Amino acid sequence: MAAIFNLSHHPSYAHWHFFQMSVPNVIVIVVMLVVFAIAILVRLPGAER
Amino acid sequence: MSTTSWTARVRERAVAALPPDKLLPDKQPSYVTSGIYIFGVLSLASLVVIIASGSILALKGPAWWHFTGVGHFFNSIHLWSVELFFFFMVIHLWGKYWMAAWRGGRARVWITGAVTFLIAIPCAFTGYLSQQNFDSQWISTQAKDAINASGIGAFFNVLNFGQMYSYHVFLLPALVVAIVIAHILLVRKHGVVPPFEPRELKAKVAATEPPADAESRS
Repeated sequence: MAAIFNLSHHPSYAHWHFFQMSVPNVIVIVVMLVVFAIAILVRLPGAER
Repeated sequence: MSTTSWTARVRERAVAALPPDKLLPDKQPSYVTSGIYIFGVLSLASLVVIIASGSILALKGPAWWHFTGVGHFFNSIHLWSVELFFFFMVIHLWGKYWMAAWRGGRARVWITGAVTFLIAIPCAFTGYLSQQNFDSQWISTQAKDAINASGIGAFFNVLNFGQMYSYHVFLLPALVVAIVIAHILLVRKHGVVPPFEPRELKAKVAATEPPADAESRS
């Protein structure tokens, strides 16, 4: 992963009032929410009703 | 037939609780085809990869991955399978929370799942402490104050590599696997939780049902 992303810099944080979290962690949580929404909304291929 | 042998009693109770068609079913209800139902088995698949890659790393020792490409490969497999395990487990948790998966006598299924999640966190944490690099030194020295403040520092010393390594490769994984097995057996016993009935369907059923005293009047 280090070859793909340049990790030689200061870490970046999302900061809003009391909320502070590293940007990579925010991205993972957003991806989890997107996958969760897709799992609910999209039917699996081959699923019969 | 009653018997005095404890092995026979255990067998009879086990078969009564989990008959073979419940233990290894070949059919599931149609709602299980929804995508939200696959995250439990994805978590389980990740756990299998974690245990397999972790066993290989344990065979070669905690420093192996620092000086061989193969060791680094298995360490990366171990790390990313843990990442996926938590990724899938959190979505599984969200899905089950919003469908109130403890309904229908499934409280123990929910509790074992929640306990697995809680034990998996220190299991992964002790893995970070077992890396044998500056990252593990940094994490352990940062964590010691919080652990000591919580009062468990006397039993769980994050600066003691041997203790953390023992927790990581044996005690906590054994606990996670044991509770996951109990979780799966309870799911088999009680069945997969059904989704909530749509409000329209409930209203339709209520509208077509005769009044409670209709039979007595006719």
